[in-house]
Amino acid sequence: MNAQAKRAPVAAAVLSILVAAAILWPLVAFDGPWPRELGAYLESRGLEESGARNLVSAIYLGYRAYDTLGETIVLLVAVSGAIGMIAAAGTTLAIDYSYPAKDGAVDGGEAEKPIRRKAKKNRTDLIEVVTGKLGPVVLLFGFYVMLFGHVSPGGGFQGGVVVASGIVFLALGSKGKPGGGLSSASTLAKLEAAGFAALIAGGFLGLASGTGFFAPPLAGTSPLGFIIALNTVIGLKVGAGIGFLCVAMLGEADYD
Amino acid sequence: MIDRIIVGLIFLVGLWGLIGKRNLIKKVFGLSIINAAVVILFIMEGGKAGSSAPILEPGVRDIVDPVPQALMLTAIVIGVCVTALALAMAYRLYKATGSFDIDEVRERLDDGHR
Amino acid sequence: MIEVLLICILALCLYTVESKDLLFGTIALSAISLLSALLFYLLKAPDVAITEAAVGAGVSTVVYVWAIKATERKDIS
Repeated sequence: MNAQAKRAPVAAAVLSILVAAAILWPLVAFDGPWPRELGAYLESRGLEESGARNLVSAIYLGYRAYDTLGETIVLLVAVSGAIGMIAAAGTTLAIDYSYPAKDGAVDGGEAEKPIRRKAKKNRTDLIEVVTGKLGPVVLLFGFYVMLFGHVSPGGGFQGGVVVASGIVFLALGSKGKPGGGLSSASTLAKLEAAGFAALIAGGFLGLASGTGFFAPPLAGTSPLGFIIALNTVIGLKVGAGIGFLCVAMLGEADYD
Repeated sequence: MIDRIIVGLIFLVGLWGLIGKRNLIKKVFGLSIINAAVVILFIMEGGKAGSSAPILEPGVRDIVDPVPQALMLTAIVIGVCVTALALAMAYRLYKATGSFDIDEVRERLDDGHR
Repeated sequence: MIEVLLICILALCLYTVESKDLLFGTIALSAISLLSALLFYLLKAPDVAITEAAVGAGVSTVVYVWAIKATERKDIS
């Protein structure tokens, strides 16, 4: 054990240098020019093929909407996993605090600290007034970013996270009450489920009309309307999902 | 070249936080920093290909490559979800063991199962 | 300009990983997101800049502050 402890720093230093070299070497060695073919193709054909001026929206909803479905599934699984894990931890609070510690003094102090901190008042009038007034404005900006994602910087994911920030503001400014309307957890959970169902339904719409999974349903027309609809659905889903996570966590820290 | 090396160093700082620190929250900090480094690298390399944003207003030409931007957009949103999931795991471990130190967590979990 | 921003981000990353107070680290992480958003705007990626600003300043900070408030604030290891 003693010899191992002496040998460990040298081995750790060698390993650290090797890892650093392995990460930095490709960044220095492979300095080719960036491939421009795809960018040039999108610049010349992207507007007429997708109908969206914002090429980023055109890519993640027009050209590869199927990948976007996968990413929203990852989002759904992460949110439900986090909420489930917190809820499970909350139900076992009573037995966990009576955990038999080996050195009682240090552990007892650590275990009691959260209880004392939660008893403190953590809302001030300043925060409530500012966030309560600012929340609707942020929410409005989020919906603007979401709905005009095809012509200006923005889209479903961008607008969704701004909407989630607005929901957090509304939840912070709800004067200590558990929050009603858009900042209540059950509404947000329903909204996220509805958004996900609408996204799947939008995917199968193209399948039913014979153009393909997540392809625009009407063949031969500009897919711009489909991109706007998907932007709205994804924005609502992302905003409700992340907002639900934050509202649940804020409630957890305040009321248990 | 120098900007790429700095981004690599940011990634290494995140990796150090992930591996070398014993506090669980510090490990999640490391994950967030690694995520930020990867996003910065993609956007930086894609931005070298042109000189204007990929919004096709009339008269805009020589745009940057929009593909890395579309990829990284979703990577950021997934990154915050990964952060939340990791923090929920850390919270669960803290509730079960009363500590954020990874060695103490392992020790107490082993004791509890025996 | 890009290199200056990157060096600021690197310094903030070092502070985040090294700070003894986890709340200070969270605020530094938020500042990293802000500087990254500025960097993305300079690199002609406005979509990514909007997302990074909203995520880094709003959502991510809320999640970290929740976790730190519900548990303990100091890094004692």
